[in-house]
Amino acid sequence: MGSFLYNGAYDIANFSFSCDGYFTNLTPTDAYRGAGRPEASYAIERVMDMVAHRVGVTPEEVRLRNYINGGELFENFEAASTLTFDSGHYKPAHDRALELADVAGLRQEQARRREAGDPVQLGVGMCTYVEICGLAPSRALGGLNYGAGGWEHATVRILPTGKVEVVSGSTPHGQGHETAWSQIIASKLGIDPHDVEVLHSDTAKSPLGLDTYGSRSLAVGGVAIAMAADKVIAKALLIAAHQFEASPDDIVFEHGSFSVAGTPSKAVHIQELGFAAFAAHDLPEGMEPNLQEQVSFDPPNFAFPFGTHVAVVEIDTETGDVGLIDYIAVDDCGVQVNPLVVEGQLHGGIVQDVAQALHEVAAYDDNGQIITPSLMDYLVPSAAEVPSITLDSTVTPSTSNPLGVKGVGEAGTIGSAAAVINAVCDALSPYGIADIAMPAPPWTVRRAIETAQGAGS
Amino acid sequence: MIPAAFDYIRAGSAEEALAALAEHGDDAKVMAGGHSLIPLMKFRLATPGVIVDVGHLREDLRGITVSGDVVHIGALTRHSELEHSLDLATACPMLAHVASVVGDPSVRHRGTIGGSLAHADPASDLPAAAIALGATLVARGPNGEREIGVDDFFTGFLESALQPDELLTAIRVPVATGGWAYEKFNRRAQDWAIVAVAVAEGGKGVSLVNMGSTPLRANSVQDAVAAGASVDDAALHAGDGAAPPSDQNGDAAYRGHLATVLTRRALAAAGV
Repeated sequence: MGSFLYNGAYDIANFSFSCDGYFTNLTPTDAYRGAGRPEASYAIERVMDMVAHRVGVTPEEVRLRNYINGGELFENFEAASTLTFDSGHYKPAHDRALELADVAGLRQEQARRREAGDPVQLGVGMCTYVEICGLAPSRALGGLNYGAGGWEHATVRILPTGKVEVVSGSTPHGQGHETAWSQIIASKLGIDPHDVEVLHSDTAKSPLGLDTYGSRSLAVGGVAIAMAADKVIAKALLIAAHQFEASPDDIVFEHGSFSVAGTPSKAVHIQELGFAAFAAHDLPEGMEPNLQEQVSFDPPNFAFPFGTHVAVVEIDTETGDVGLIDYIAVDDCGVQVNPLVVEGQLHGGIVQDVAQALHEVAAYDDNGQIITPSLMDYLVPSAAEVPSITLDSTVTPSTSNPLGVKGVGEAGTIGSAAAVINAVCDALSPYGIADIAMPAPPWTVRRAIETAQGAGS
Repeated sequence: MIPAAFDYIRAGSAEEALAALAEHGDDAKVMAGGHSLIPLMKFRLATPGVIVDVGHLREDLRGITVSGDVVHIGALTRHSELEHSLDLATACPMLAHVASVVGDPSVRHRGTIGGSLAHADPASDLPAAAIALGATLVARGPNGEREIGVDDFFTGFLESALQPDELLTAIRVPVATGGWAYEKFNRRAQDWAIVAVAVAEGGKGVSLVNMGSTPLRANSVQDAVAAGASVDDAALHAGDGAAPPSDQNGDAAYRGHLATVLTRRALAAAGV
């Protein structure tokens, strides 16, 4: 998927992509959180900083000059990479991230330290990413020779007790689907979320579904849930109209209750209709019993979340140690169902890719023996290695689905490595260092400084 | 991840532990907190036939007593006890601080100072602190107790002057309230030092972590400080005679460079 995203958030007219594959006997790798998009955003966002440096404008400015539609709101932008970006509005997230980070103040402090020859130098790095999620149109996946479709299946049923069962083809493994799906149903049906039970993970209960990956659950599976709920409401409305001996056109649905327009005192709650549909004593002529509907949703397009991240690092130039001292992320994943889940996804994703930038590596000796075989050596960071992360968001609804949702499961890993390495390179720019490879352990940074100093003297 | 099979003896007293060591000799290994030994066993880098567990013993083996100008520390005193002891904070603040940066809280609640010293890991914090402080180690064996000066204690990589039938029972350090510092360089809070430098008593004691097969006393640095050299000049001697390892955390040259930088900082922080 990443191959279509090397143009990033920018209005780039010409685009081609080629990729070489290599056989290797090193540790095999597979799709990892972000799966292609971190690589793409890393490349374009490093390039943007290099362009800024070469042209002599700030990294902020070079981005502002190149954002799609000047950073203002757009819908259905046809990128040169052949994708159609559903919606975007890059400047508000950009501005908010720079404001929260106090980039102007940081630049002053950076100048002061450079002037003073402080051994601890400051670096500020940003990354405006755009990613692709909500996998998605089966037709498009077919064009990529993908092995499956991109739809998702949902069933919603109101039980005789009035409780609601939701059967989801998206299977959570920690993402909080039960919570989000319950919220969607509660909001749609006007009921207490505690009255919703989400069933999943068992093909005996949920035989249809393509699962949770590629930040697709909400934008495909969650939307299928909402659409099935709409069908349940539409059927319940017919039963209510029948009970009221009114035309369906005159029935209004509000806060979970159906009533005849103009006479709100006479009302029936949708949860009560669960029993009526089950007993089927008095349903409209020809209506099947039970309130149960299912939907297979195949979105017309992917969804394209975006955001701007800012990383602030201190580099101890004597040891080469890189300390991440601040991290700000302003993300736009479209309409948010549960902001706490969004924050949790971002925290985890950001730290995961900070780790790629600074810590984690599968290293080998000259004989091909892995020298980082345990988590002790592989250096997964702990809470002590990352600062408190400042999060904010903007909301630009997706045009790819009726909920306006996009996806956020991988956004953190797509934004943070580039922001961190841009910050490292920013701190080292007075030495004439233009690039540092990931990961950037202290000895690599120190060697780069020594080499640069040697070359300069 | 699974250690090789071993027999387990839970010693009821120091005497029982000594008896078990006498019986099993080289094949036995003493375990206190287990936080160095058990990982080695899980990696099968150590395969003792018999574990003699002393971690639960009290007797006179645990606790901190200050008398006169000597701090007596039972070998089974845990890092967290060193870290939080008010007596130690007053009598030997450097040792309390070093204990506070060992591993993570769970390691510090299980690990013991005797275990750490007897393990003799050049990358551990407390052995180097003991060197900088000029500690004396007390070992009990079949013929009674003997004292071992810290400079004679660390004999090789994970090797000490302890005999297979001896039990480390106490550590004595001089009261040390002069300028001190401990500069530990690592990448994650809970990790071993890539390099660390301990300074005690205003530069009279200087030692290095992970700069060779044993924790090292930085004699040249001490001499330079004693001779009145500047901090910068004294620190240039940090790597003298050291043979640091090269591994995924940095090659020998980088470690040598770190030793100089950290020694300079530690000497300055210690008020030299």
